[in-house]
Amino acid sequence: MRQTNFALALLTAAALAACGGNGSKGGDQTLKTKFSSQVTFGDSLADVGTYKVGAIAAAGGGEFTINGDNTAKSPVLTGKNWTELMAAQFSLPVPCAAQTGLQGTASLGFSVPVVNHTGCYGYAQGGSRVTNPVGPHNALTGDPLGLMTVPVATQVANHLSASGGKFKGDEVVFVMAGGNDVLALMGGLAAAATAAGQAAGAAAGAAAGAQTFATSLTTQLAAGATNPATAAQAIGLALATENANPAHTSTSLVTAAVGAAAIQPGNSAVGSPAVYGPMVAQAQADATAAGNTAGATAGAKAGADYLTANGPANVPAMATAGTELANLVKTQIIGKGANFVVVNNLPDVSISPSAKAQATSTQALIKAMGQAFNDALKTGLGSDAKILYVDLYTLSDDQSVNPGPYGLSNTTTPACGTNALAGSSLICNGSNLIAGDVSHYMFADDVHPTPFEHSLIAKYVAEQMIIKGWL
Amino acid sequence: MKLRLNSVVNMLALAAAMVAASSASAQSAGQWTAKVGAAEITPKVDSGDVSAPALPGTKADVGSNTQPVFIIGYGLTDNISAELDLGLPYKHKLYGAGAIAGTGELGTVEALPPTAFIQYRFFEPKAMLRPYVGVGITYAYFQKATGSGQLTAVSNIGSSTPTTFKLDNKVAATLQLGLVVNINERWFVDGAVTKSFLKTKVNFSTGQTQDMTLDPQSVSLGVGYKF
Repeated sequence: MRQTNFALALLTAAALAACGGNGSKGGDQTLKTKFSSQVTFGDSLADVGTYKVGAIAAAGGGEFTINGDNTAKSPVLTGKNWTELMAAQFSLPVPCAAQTGLQGTASLGFSVPVVNHTGCYGYAQGGSRVTNPVGPHNALTGDPLGLMTVPVATQVANHLSASGGKFKGDEVVFVMAGGNDVLALMGGLAAAATAAGQAAGAAAGAAAGAQTFATSLTTQLAAGATNPATAAQAIGLALATENANPAHTSTSLVTAAVGAAAIQPGNSAVGSPAVYGPMVAQAQADATAAGNTAGATAGAKAGADYLTANGPANVPAMATAGTELANLVKTQIIGKGANFVVVNNLPDVSISPSAKAQATSTQALIKAMGQAFNDALKTGLGSDAKILYVDLYTLSDDQSVNPGPYGLSNTTTPACGTNALAGSSLICNGSNLIAGDVSHYMFADDVHPTPFEHSLIAKYVAEQMIIKGWL
Repeated sequence: MKLRLNSVVNMLALAAAMVAASSASAQSAGQWTAKVGAAEITPKVDSGDVSAPALPGTKADVGSNTQPVFIIGYGLTDNISAELDLGLPYKHKLYGAGAIAGTGELGTVEALPPTAFIQYRFFEPKAMLRPYVGVGITYAYFQKATGSGQLTAVSNIGSSTPTTFKLDNKVAATLQLGLVVNINERWFVDGAVTKSFLKTKVNFSTGQTQDMTLDPQSVSLGVGYKF
């Protein structure tokens, strides 16, 4: 009987253990909020193909990342930016650009009529600033590319005018801008600093050149005299006298110097053009070299001085842009009925290859500008249940110093190789990358993320939205 | 679930009926016992980080669960017994923790931890209170690991493939501390606390992995019958 009991117990155990298999399932993929659409305002980091026209489209480009589906090469080379990944996760249609076109040089294929697309809510455009209509590569800067760079303020106004002056309330709204304000301000600063440096350098170079010319010529002319020291004094006096003559020319200076030199004891030979000619040429060469050196030194110093004096003004300018963006979100997005607004702050531009190529002091300035923008943005947004502020700045900083856990293989080198647009990711695709496996690089070009980095951004935004209770 | 519970009860009733005619004996060497009850299992999680690509410090937490248990025992001697603990699968909720704390429930998994014990029971077989200690081997069997839209969003966003995962089945050592209260010659109440030392690994369909120390602690209370 005991054996029977034991057998029964084993049977029971077997029956219990047999319940169900070991199947793993994806489970319920629906998210907490079913958004009716996705509306995106911003710049190149969220642009879904505003400029995918003309020669850009023909070159296999259109977005500011590694373009195209290269998943055959690596599963992470999806060609998608973070907004496209979000839309897919929300089971929404593939986002399309609200406006397409190019206003640049026709002969280069950069002149394509600007068209607005009804029903497309991807307003973000490469080059767009917060309120200033002229961003990098805008036609008004004389750039042959001629990007429209419609500012975020106008993007929002365009959406409102296309949708009855209000948001429906059940759409998810993404906002991400500020990067082009950094680039435009830094570009303006660099141009002004260069101009200041060139002016100062030219003046310093001319002065140093004249001084070197006189010294070199005097030394050479006096060298053949019985008493070179006395001769040099006489030549120097003659040069100074002629230099004081308002009508002096370089020829008259040479004539005066040669005249004074030739009458010195033992030095008559120097009066011959065959003798003094090469001396003048040598003096001119010496003067040019000295002038260039002095000019470059003075120019660099003046440029640096200009940056030091005027760079800090970019910091409050960025704070102003941050406040403007916050006000835009509150009055024109939340104020017009949106309930789910994700505002990404500005990633740290100072870690980009673009910034890393510049002086340490410039990098520090760029970092301060980003911080000022984000601080003003965050303060301006305040606490609002309808706004999710996502800190990509901290994320990007952490990625740059701690890339391993993120799966990033390189955070400093652009993955895109040389191309017709100076390596810009706008026409970067699977065919013009640098050699090697760049799939897990952070940067596509000197400022824009790769699709892999975009996926990290998307996952972070999603995680924050889950914590917020929206997904 | 209800159906399964009923079938357990039925089987137990059947077992009881079949042995009803057998000779009564003391709770001692050569005696079989059967217990039914409930156990709450609480993993004491020490989560490793999810491997790249993930936010540094992405961890997980596992919730507790209570399920019916069915335990059979056999007295090897008056003081040494063998016991087999079975039960319905525990359904655990998995939560985001560490760097992704606050993301809430990201998945569920069922765990079946059948455990075989060798126990030492104090005092006389007829004593009303019989504390006991046991040492056992648990086979942790995981099944029906189920993801969620949230899990896919934080691990493989924008992909048409929902993220799935599975946990490695593992053998673990388990310690037990219990007390039997004999109500009469046949019936008794049994309470026990067990602690298992269980390390496993979570394998995600994204290729990521995560080491997890679960070290579950279980508290069970049941009613038993001596055959």
